[in-house]
Parts: sequence; C-alpha cells; structure tokens
Amino acid sequence: MAIKYTTKVIEHFKNPHNIGVIENADACATEGSPACGDEITVYLKIDKATDRIEDVKFQSYGCASNIATGSIITDLAKGKTIDEAEAITWKQAADELGGLPPVKMHCSVLAVDGLRSAIRKYKKEMKGIDYDSTLDVKTVTEELKHVLWPPVGVDIITLKMVKYIGIDQGAVRVEISVGSDDKFLDPTINEIVEHVSKIRGVKSVNVENV
Amino acid sequence: MIYLDNFRSTMVAPEVWAAMRTAAIDEYAVPAAFTQCGTGAAELVERAQNRLAAAIGASQNEVVFTGSGTEAINIALWGSTWAQAVDKPEIVTSEIEYPATLAVYKALEKEGYRAHYIKVDGEGKYDLDQLSSVLNEHTAMVSLMGVNHMIGTIEPLAEAGTIIAEASQHVGRRIPYHVDFASALQTQRLDVDAVKADLVSFSSNKIHGPKGVGALYVRKGTKIRPITFGSESYSPLVPGTPNTMGIAGFDKAVELLYATFDKDVEHMLGLTNRLATGIREHIPYILLNGPDGAGRAASHLCYSFLFIEGEAIMMFLDMDHIVVDTGSACAAATLKPNYILMAIGRNHEEAHGSIRFTLSRYSTEADVDTALAKLVPIVERLRAQSTIRPPAQ
Repeated sequence: MAIKYTTKVIEHFKNPHNIGVIENADACATEGSPACGDEITVYLKIDKATDRIEDVKFQSYGCASNIATGSIITDLAKGKTIDEAEAITWKQAADELGGLPPVKMHCSVLAVDGLRSAIRKYKKEMKGIDYDSTLDVKTVTEELKHVLWPPVGVDIITLKMVKYIGIDQGAVRVEISVGSDDKFLDPTINEIVEHVSKIRGVKSVNVENV
Repeated sequence: MIYLDNFRSTMVAPEVWAAMRTAAIDEYAVPAAFTQCGTGAAELVERAQNRLAAAIGASQNEVVFTGSGTEAINIALWGSTWAQAVDKPEIVTSEIEYPATLAVYKALEKEGYRAHYIKVDGEGKYDLDQLSSVLNEHTAMVSLMGVNHMIGTIEPLAEAGTIIAEASQHVGRRIPYHVDFASALQTQRLDVDAVKADLVSFSSNKIHGPKGVGALYVRKGTKIRPITFGSESYSPLVPGTPNTMGIAGFDKAVELLYATFDKDVEHMLGLTNRLATGIREHIPYILLNGPDGAGRAASHLCYSFLFIEGEAIMMFLDMDHIVVDTGSACAAATLKPNYILMAIGRNHEEAHGSIRFTLSRYSTEADVDTALAKLVPIVERLRAQSTIRPPAQ
C-alpha cells in the first residue's frame, strides 16, 4: 500500500503553526532524542490567574509528521487551560490531521508527550503537583502504552505484546513477543528503552524478545 | 520534474520504448524453432545475449535474461550455493550489499550456512584482508558488488577476484564468485575475466531500460542448478516464456549505454562534482558519505546535513518536483537508519540527515543548479526549526 500523508499533514509540514521559541517561557520540555530520530521541544506561556495557555511554541528535529504533529498539538493547546491541554490525546492530534500512516503514529505520541511534559513541569513548579510516581509495574505499563507497534500504530500493551515486566532495584526487565527477524523489533526495543528510562528510579532497562 | 534518484530506477529511453513496442506488437511470438515468427523472436533474444556478452567479455550462451536484478541475484546465490558439494558450507559477502543479496544470505543462514559479512572502511571500501582471512575449504559462495548503491563506492572487484582465485587454488576447488553489477553498469566497464567473476547480476532499469528484466552471467563450467522449474525451451536456469518485450528494451538500453559510455560518464562526473562543490560552498555542517573524487561512481553523491532529518528535506524537495532519496530511519519502512551509513561509521543522527543524489546521462547542469538553489533554503529553514543547533550558535 502506498504510504502517503494527508493534505492537512502536508499543509502543517509546509507552514507549521507556532514554530519557534518563547523567551522566558513558563515551562519548556523536550521529548525524544536525536539518536532515536526525532525530538520535540514545547514552550508554554501560561496566564497564572486562569491557568490558560496564552502562547505555545515548538521546535522539531524530525520528519514531516513530527513537524505536522507539533504544529497541530500547539494549535489544539493554545487558549485551553492546562488541564484541558493535558487531556489532549495523540489519537485526537492524529485525527485533527486527517490521520497519520500507522508507521508514523509515534510522532503524534511524541508531540503529545512534549506538551504534557511541559504542562507537568509547570504544575510541579507552580502547584507542587508531583507526577513522578514510584517505579512499579503499573508505571512501567503506563509508559509502555506510549510505545506503538509501527505496522498498526497501536500501543504494545493493548496489542498484548508485553509478556512480563520485572523490576529489581531500579533494573527493569521487559519481555516482549515478536518474531525474531521482525523488521520492527530493533526500533521497538529502542523505543521501550527510551520510554522506560524516563521513569524516576530506573537504573537500567533490559528488553528481551521471548 | 528533476529526477535525481536514478539508482532506484531510470527513465526508459525513447529508443528503448520504441524497441519494446516493436517487440510487443510486431514480434510477439514466443522464441521457437522453425517458424518465421518464432525464430525471429529467438533471434531477438540471441542478439540481446550477444550484445551484453560482448560488452563484458563473455560469450553468448553465458548470458541469460531474468525477471529482475533481484531474480538474477537469487538464481546466482541459491543456485550456485546449493550446487556446491561442500562440507559445513560457509558463505561470504559484505555488510553493505544490496538488500537482495543480504536477504538471500539471511535465508541461507536459516538453512544452516555460516555467513561472513566483510567489513568496510569509512568510505565503504571492502576490507580485503578480512576477505582473504575468511576464505577456506568450507566457502561455498562469495558475493560482492561493483558500486555501492547508497554512497557510490567503487569496490575493488578485481583484487577480490584474485584473492578468491588464489584461495580456490589453495582448496583445490573453484569458490564461486558472484558480482552484483546492477548499480555499477551505468558508470563502470566490466571484463568478467579481469575480475575473475563466475556469476554477474544486472538490472535493466538502472540503465534506462524497462523494469521487470535483468540478466545473469554464468561462466561456462560454473556449478549451478535452477531454483524455479518449468519449460526449459529458453533456458533451464530461467524456465518459462522469456519477456521478449523487456529483453528487446534491455538490449536497446545496453546498445545506447555503450554508444556514448565515456562521454556520459564524464558528463555525470561533471554534474556530481558541480553539485558537490555547490553544497560545500553554500551549506555548512555537512558530511560526505563515501569517497571523494575518483573512488566514487560518477552517478552518485550522498551527503549528510547535520541537525536536521532527511525525510523532511526529501519531502520539501519533492514539493519543488525534485526527486532524491534519504537514508533516514523516518523514511525507511523498517524505521531503521540506513545500514550502509551505519557500516561506514555514521551515527543515527548523521544517517538521519542523509540525502542521496543519483544522476543519469539525461541529467543537466540546470537540474543540478535548480536542485542546489532549492536545497539551500530548505536546509536553512529546517535548521532554524530544529531542536538541535550547531555548537557555535
């Protein structure tokens, strides 16, 4: 099947909204990593009296869908309260763009993660709300819901691909079940490591295909 | 459209199309004996065999036409490896081969063959010392390529051929040597005796011929068995009805290729050098992938543009009707960075920002200048949007 972007993705890629930096932003967060191929930074200016997002900007190191999803989530977030913006899902972002190819859905996850991280940083600093939860199977499971299986663009927890999560003094072991020569095995393992490493208290991540 | 992705496929030359049309409409019979139309079709195929054979220093019956370059590689590698009576067989190739070769090797590994993947240096050149060290009495196949399809490295085929010939003498048996010449045919001449190759694969659509036809050279006396079965009236190695329309097109493409070969290579070299100079002069923070100068095929140029991602560059160029390719993981169906760029020591980030330009004899100075003029602001713009900055800024 020909993989192509919707007209809306192309529009946002060509002329991204809210691209750039906010000097003296109230919150700023970077998600992804250049080594993994895409990275997004989200800047927020928030009205402290109303908790409303007055301005939002982003920068992107990534492909067309990375830039387009950055553009759409900043559009969606602008003018919303931080609670409303935090509730934006990656599915919503992708739908706003008229859909993304399954193999590109992870870009939407990354953009939404960037926005949420910035909001949570703000909430932590301004309101003392701490999102960093303890390292346990539940937190790892929640984080793995952000790892999508590229051929279908659905997360690996929903797809029941995660067979075991073990935690021992900061060392996390994740067992997944994929064909040993599956072409998406390596990038998926990288994604799992990247996501689980973000959880506070994680010292190492070991992913095994069983 | 400015098409700078000629490794993927080239435009069918108008003369090729005319030859194909004639073969399809006026000479549509199946090659056969005795009848006028049957022998006419048979002669068409023989003419094509002769022309390609003559160009590479072979004889007519050493060339067969296949359904693609990939099919030629499969017949060569499966067919000849299976035909070797070797105990605990081992197979040798490099880590930067064309996907078809690597896929057959992975499949052979599953069949129990032990595979060795030769490393390359920072410019993509084979480590011949390593090649020499892995050849032994168990070696059932060596497969190497003429020009690397991603970075244009011209590989030392003849030196490798000598090493394989010496090893063959040492083990008292000919170790089959397959050369994938698909990406080299456009810019490199080949003499199968000088290279000491036993099997050589070709693809028509890399030289302005049609898709769906390739060729395989099989040196007389090479042990090989068919991998598909059917009517052998054309060839036991490639059974079934030959694609005479495709073969007629491939034949015309070969004729045109050698009619102006040196002039065309010089033309392409001038253009890739012009593009390289322009990129170096106008765009900072770049890395050339593959050799500079004489070690690189005239048709190829691959640069990494740091701090940005290749699919985005490729798509912006595409909107300006300029077609290129990238080794970025984002543009790959597997989400993995290009394995050839990784093999020459690039990291993920460097592979990510890679753009490959592959030219043809039809490319013009205006094509290259337009591509450069569009590329410069695209790179600047994406860099301005990027989360990553040059260290100095």
